[in-house]
Amino acid sequence: MSRGYYRYFGPFLKAQERWLNRMADRGLRLAEVGKLRYAFTPCPPGQVRYCVEFVGQKSREEQDRYGCFLEELGYRVFFRSVNLDFYLGKIRLRPWADRGGRWAVSGGSYGREILIVEKENDGAPFQLHTTWADRAAAWGVLRRPWLFLAAFLGIMALAVGSPALGGLALAALIPAVYYQIRLARDRRRAQTEEW
Amino acid sequence: MRDNAKGGALTEVTFFVLLSVVTPRHGYAIMQFVEERTGGRLVLGAGTLYGALSALEEKGWIAPAGEGGGRKRVYRITQAGRQAAERELERLRQVAAAAEEILKEGQA
Repeated sequence: MSRGYYRYFGPFLKAQERWLNRMADRGLRLAEVGKLRYAFTPCPPGQVRYCVEFVGQKSREEQDRYGCFLEELGYRVFFRSVNLDFYLGKIRLRPWADRGGRWAVSGGSYGREILIVEKENDGAPFQLHTTWADRAAAWGVLRRPWLFLAAFLGIMALAVGSPALGGLALAALIPAVYYQIRLARDRRRAQTEEW
Repeated sequence: MRDNAKGGALTEVTFFVLLSVVTPRHGYAIMQFVEERTGGRLVLGAGTLYGALSALEEKGWIAPAGEGGGRKRVYRITQAGRQAAERELERLRQVAAAAEEILKEGQA
């Protein structure tokens, strides 16, 4: 019997990750993920751990390959949308994406930007990335869309003379700056230590 | 994967992933092998392992070796990968010898 909870985290992956792990500590294990609804089934408290990663820059093929690889390791994976599946004209341009992920034109290649990974709790911290360089790269992936959004809104604000758009552009810079600080910190560590 | 392409120096993660498939292994076995052989010093995250395997396969240093039990993808080292591992071992030997000599000189 599953229990449903309604949450919207948007692009705040760490908040989503912390919430899922709090639910796991309460004895609830993710069964299904929808646009806003998270369905859980009961489990022993602390049985599982969660990690959340942004994979919107990967192509559909690459997302599937990565998901299959994680499942081969014994993890469970859930893909979900970062933004409630709202799309204009069902075509998305992602200038920040890797090759194969720049144009998303079908339902199979968008709406899967967030990857939730579940593992059995073995007492060890759950980190998908070991080295400082990999962690810095992961922060860079999170930073890119916010930078593009801030730039786009900034240009629009200047073009139409809209302070509201200017305000939104500045707001979009906040997460970009946060991720930049984390990226710079991990890059500095990567200069002298591999992990 | 960040390697010094000019000097050919491999990262420890890359080197151990390469060594782990001298005997064909699947992903989970690679993680266990590396943790065991480093005495728990190096614990590979799944994302890091995936990146390393993708990069090594792209370089032609490892190749798929079919599927193991439970349909897990198995990897094996190629001839080019073996040569790269042997070059890295030689480089590490030279680094260790140089470091030992320098530290001894420092003590004298």
